[in-house]
Amino acid sequence: MSDPGQPQGWYAVALAADLDPGTSAGTRLFGAELVVWRDAAGSAHVWEDRCPHRGMRLSFGFVRGDHIACLYHGWQYDAAGQCRYIPAHPDLAVSPMIRARTYASLERLGLVWAAWGEEPGPPPDAGADSLTPLRSLYLDRPAARVRTAFADASKGGLASGLLRTTLAEIPVLVAVQPLADDRCAAHFLIDRPSDALTRSDRARVASACMAWRRSVEARSGERAAS
Amino acid sequence: MSLTLYDYELDENGYKVRLLLGALGLPHATVAVDMIPGAEQTRAPLIDLNPLGTLPILVDGETVLREAEAILLYLAQRFDPGGPWLPREPDAFGRTMAWLVFAARDLHAATLARRTAMFDVPGDAIALERASRDAFRAMEDHMVLQAIADAGFFVGATATLADLALFPAFALSRDHGIDHEAYPALRRWARRVRALPGFRTMPGIPDYH
Repeated sequence: MSDPGQPQGWYAVALAADLDPGTSAGTRLFGAELVVWRDAAGSAHVWEDRCPHRGMRLSFGFVRGDHIACLYHGWQYDAAGQCRYIPAHPDLAVSPMIRARTYASLERLGLVWAAWGEEPGPPPDAGADSLTPLRSLYLDRPAARVRTAFADASKGGLASGLLRTTLAEIPVLVAVQPLADDRCAAHFLIDRPSDALTRSDRARVASACMAWRRSVEARSGERAAS
Repeated sequence: MSLTLYDYELDENGYKVRLLLGALGLPHATVAVDMIPGAEQTRAPLIDLNPLGTLPILVDGETVLREAEAILLYLAQRFDPGGPWLPREPDAFGRTMAWLVFAARDLHAATLARRTAMFDVPGDAIALERASRDAFRAMEDHMVLQAIADAGFFVGATATLADLALFPAFALSRDHGIDHEAYPALRRWARRVRALPGFRTMPGIPDYH
């Protein structure tokens, strides 16, 4: 995990608002498959996306209360990753050895963050009081290329790795999630409180995001072709 | 009224029609057709009902219809006139039709990709995957803007035929290796579709969610 291409730290893996209570979603970080899920009480969790039983992706499963269950055989895991219930053996006291691998995670700035590496450092802080989550964009481009695309506009990096830029004349922050070598996600937050934004502001920034994506993909395409 | 649907259970085009039959609570008979591998729809007697040799086919008395989107429109006009499934207001009507065309044309790549992946039907898997991802991305971008406008469905705040025509390909995309990772707005929309009264699943779409 200390691979220099995979710097330790906190990485945004989803917009908090995109994760409804009682749901799960698959994602990746440096190629590792993760499940991001929110229990019925509202807490978000980030785990390895793999049921210890047969390796089935837990993101294909379903959330019941504060447990997530595998789609294959219904094995249920509690919020700490401990298997608590095996439907084929309902009376069995499940061994404490049967655990899903978990990552440290937290919700901040409207994003769900996961810790990568043994020493991820302090959790993210944008130094902003109130941000408005906008959307996540998924690109078939490496994270480094997306960071480069922001380099012109960015007015200096932030400790948390959030990039700062302007879209449609509105300040935005971007958290880049390296999904795999050739793919990344860019999570966009508007650097203004939601009550200071009209719907049309948000729609304009959302449209500008799409234009930004077209320009990144077009530029990369030229380079790839040359 | 006597509705008969000629259908293949694993076909997402038939599933579009099943979704509306469920939503409208319409009693109907189903004739199971061996589409894969039998290609029964390309031979007599079915070829006499639909010379194009495709499924699904709906028979309602003297009316015989092919193409899932046309069947959706027919059922909405006949059994839910003025109802929510096919908006009458011109703007919403036009946008509903645009998504129905999209479902039949752009999203067809996902149907073909799934047939190639699951049933070994010949096809350019790489090109089909790219076209499928393009279609899903257009849907995701649209639903991001809909969320900003407080509209939970493709045309507005309530479900229309557009949602039923678009849902199957997205819900079944994992069958051909396209995960839902990159489509958070579509994931939330799919949950809304699943919560519609009369919703039903099909093989490949788990009951649990």
